[in-house]
Amino acid sequence: MKRIICLLFAFCMACKHPAPTPDKVSDESIFNLSATWHTEKGKSIQLKELKGKVLVVVMIYTSCKVACPRLVADMQDIRKNVGNNDKVQYVLVTIDPETDTPAKLKEFAISKEMDGDEWTFLQGNPETVREFANVLSVKYKEISPMDFSHSNIISVFSPRGELLHQQEGLGVNNKETIAAILQAANH
Amino acid sequence: MKTTILSVTGICFAVSCTRVPAQQEMTTPMLQVTLSPVNDTVKMTEVKSGVYTPFFGKKDTSILVRGFMMDVVPVTNSRFLEFVKRNPQWRRSQVKRIYAESNYLLNWTNDTTLSPAMDPEAPVTNISWFAAKAYCDAAGKSLPTVDQWEYAAMADETTEDARNKTSYNKDILSWYEKPNTAGNRVHQTPENVWGIADLHGLVWEWTADFNEVMLSGESRKDVSNDAAKFCGSGSIGATDLMNYAAFMRFAFRGSLKANYCVQNQGFRAVKNL
Amino acid sequence: MSFILYPISSSNTYTMTRLKFLFCVFLSAWLLNACSSSTPEQTKIPPTEIKVVGESIAELTSPPLVPKPIGNREATKLIVNMEIVEKEGTMADGVKYLYWTFNGTVPGSFIRTRVGDEVEFHLKNHPNNKLPHNIDLHAVTGTGGGAASSFVAPGHEVTFSFKVLNPGLFVYHCATAPVAMHIANGMYGLILVEPEGGLPPVDKEYYIMQGDFYTKGKNGDPGLQPFDMQKAVDERPDYVVFNGRVGSLTGDNSLKAKVGETVRLFVGNGGPNMVSSFHVIGEIFDHVNVEGGGLVNHNVQTTLIPAGGASIVDFKCEVPGTFVIVDHSITRTFNKGSLGMLTVTGDENKQIYSGKQTEGIYQPEGSTIQNMPGEKVPDAPKATSHEERVALGKSVFAKTCQACHQENGQGIPNAFPPLAKSDFLNADVNRAIGVVLHGKTGEVMVNGAKFNGVMPAQVLSDEEIANVLTFVYSSWGNKKQEIKPAMVASQRAH
Repeated sequence: MKRIICLLFAFCMACKHPAPTPDKVSDESIFNLSATWHTEKGKSIQLKELKGKVLVVVMIYTSCKVACPRLVADMQDIRKNVGNNDKVQYVLVTIDPETDTPAKLKEFAISKEMDGDEWTFLQGNPETVREFANVLSVKYKEISPMDFSHSNIISVFSPRGELLHQQEGLGVNNKETIAAILQAANH
Repeated sequence: MKTTILSVTGICFAVSCTRVPAQQEMTTPMLQVTLSPVNDTVKMTEVKSGVYTPFFGKKDTSILVRGFMMDVVPVTNSRFLEFVKRNPQWRRSQVKRIYAESNYLLNWTNDTTLSPAMDPEAPVTNISWFAAKAYCDAAGKSLPTVDQWEYAAMADETTEDARNKTSYNKDILSWYEKPNTAGNRVHQTPENVWGIADLHGLVWEWTADFNEVMLSGESRKDVSNDAAKFCGSGSIGATDLMNYAAFMRFAFRGSLKANYCVQNQGFRAVKNL
Repeated sequence: MSFILYPISSSNTYTMTRLKFLFCVFLSAWLLNACSSSTPEQTKIPPTEIKVVGESIAELTSPPLVPKPIGNREATKLIVNMEIVEKEGTMADGVKYLYWTFNGTVPGSFIRTRVGDEVEFHLKNHPNNKLPHNIDLHAVTGTGGGAASSFVAPGHEVTFSFKVLNPGLFVYHCATAPVAMHIANGMYGLILVEPEGGLPPVDKEYYIMQGDFYTKGKNGDPGLQPFDMQKAVDERPDYVVFNGRVGSLTGDNSLKAKVGETVRLFVGNGGPNMVSSFHVIGEIFDHVNVEGGGLVNHNVQTTLIPAGGASIVDFKCEVPGTFVIVDHSITRTFNKGSLGMLTVTGDENKQIYSGKQTEGIYQPEGSTIQNMPGEKVPDAPKATSHEERVALGKSVFAKTCQACHQENGQGIPNAFPPLAKSDFLNADVNRAIGVVLHGKTGEVMVNGAKFNGVMPAQVLSDEEIANVLTFVYSSWGNKKQEIKPAMVASQRAH
């Protein structure tokens, strides 16, 4: 339903503004968030620098042994099914910025063969992570210094940063998510 | 204009720190960027350090809560009004939907006027987590964590941990049966042993990390937990199902999203010592 | 056809019989053939494959009413709008309770669907509510019966959809933690899934749901009573009632039907804990859909309805009268409130029921605890005037006497004598006091009618007896006399 509302909203926006200014972002857009993040390449960016691409976002931490490897596998599966498409960016945000430094994230990316240009890993700080999780409705809790409990959600955002689709759970069928990405990317 | 300047600063800042990712440099919260400070003079009181067993968590898990200062009452309509006067981006017509849904400050007459029916000394409600947090940032304070809030709120008038007292639970539960308490003035309920009022009996209150609660609303499942949905979830569960007053509080937190604005929910601030 | 080949002789009864026999054999063979034939009438479409046609907004009804039958309509997209409201209501005379409700009633609105319907469910949590809620519908095939998708904060709305696959009568309820409390506060109701073509038509349909309630105070303690979790855990309810309160189906609220009509009751049990032994005194259920499912039992006296379960019963009303609906775990009925009534009007049929026996009537008791010698009588407030006595007596009456003697003192013909304009009462005050104090067994004549039941002695204080009798004597055309506690005391001493 949420997805329908979002799509509907995107659709209405499209109707109202046949030629929208590309810089203009709506109230719902995650590009309103002005926090700065570090990428695995050591760059500092704001989310709005990713504007113009369909964003597939997940929150993980690299030392996770339970759910995150499966979430990462889901991301890889989605990437494979979407195929090469320079309009889609895959974003992995770490829940554990203390441990997951850009160097660590880069190492992780290489080991998982997720070091192409379409992959971006982000490190924030505890406060920006908390806020970003709130935007995605991701719930998480630090159980011990090395262990987090978190909800497993993959979110898809439009090129203007509006939430289009969320997939919750592990090992669920990625079909709907892939369809949402393709629809947004080919629009 | 201000935004532009700040994003420029942001970029300069960004350039300066491409070298090493230092944690300390990056603590600028995304919302604080454009905030004008508010002069919040509400009385705060000290909650002394102590150990407590949280309602959620392993039964033998004790958590050390370091001493902190806490507002003795929730933030009132008049205090929040001052904040939006100084920070137009937090006015009802200006706020971005990603930060607050459409019922944000629902009952106000307009951006900077309370409705005549509202008591300026009643707690501000219909407020999102982002708005509450922005207020705290502007006041140089922060939202309490769940642990801080629960630790302060387990006290009654005479004891620091009154959770095993029948009267304590009865008082909390009686609130659920009183309609429309949100319009009452702050500081009408008795102060607890720390000198803090209204933790129970007035409104629900936001906490910084409310979203760490894993209640999905499907309580039967929550008891056993769903490993497919929550990684590491096996280690979190209610330690005492009988403590249903607290259970309801956690269920409430679990139903929230950060941009929700609920009629029966306000907030108060804390300051770390 | 084959039987034509046989000679027909009207004088030969043997041939006739034989002929009939052969005809039957032939017919049966034909029927059997039709059933086992390789070209059956129509292959059943699996429920998952049923196509929906159009969309409509579901008619929802408050208990004891049910929406119109689905009849022959096709499967459709059905929009259900349900609002959760936390509100104060009346549990019993003078007893208030904060109910949590689906659409403002306990039980919540009745939802009527058919197999194959696609239900789009809108669950709204009223902004004034304190708590988040959700809904688990037993008719849903899917995780949590919808609960996981429907968790909703106050002032918010969620939408989820499901296709109903299995016909039957199903319970829905809130499943938010602490779930026992949400159910105990009244968050349950029924959703009916009719088979294709609908249930067989009947004349009257009603909606009844039993629930157990746990209050801080004892049964009858006045004022706003909070929920008692400990009693719920111990499964010690203070109230076991139909449709959320004592008296929801008695007096003016009783269910109504006419002689000759068939009545179907959709009966659910919200619990949270008690299992119902559902029984209608003086009726036998012609059909019972056991546990609300496809198994139909016949000629049933009492049907067991589990907590979180339901049952569909129907029967034909052959004779007029008041038929008392009970949980046959009988102290609940007479001491905790699970008592309703079906009033059937029309002509007597003396062949079916002579009207003189008291078969099927339980030793009628009020809801105060009876005859426990040595037990301390609770203190009652002292009345200082005739008016106060009437007011206090009214609540004693509601708790203790009304179940049998009825709200307006009219009694129940052939079972419980009337108190209104009662010659028996007005003739002798001390005799009346004695009956309340010591009970009464055997035949009495009241207003020209004979009664032969048992009234047990009531454990009430002198003050309470004075009050309730003053109320009775001051109501319904009786002789307006004040009874003083001293008069009761002197009778007690006898």
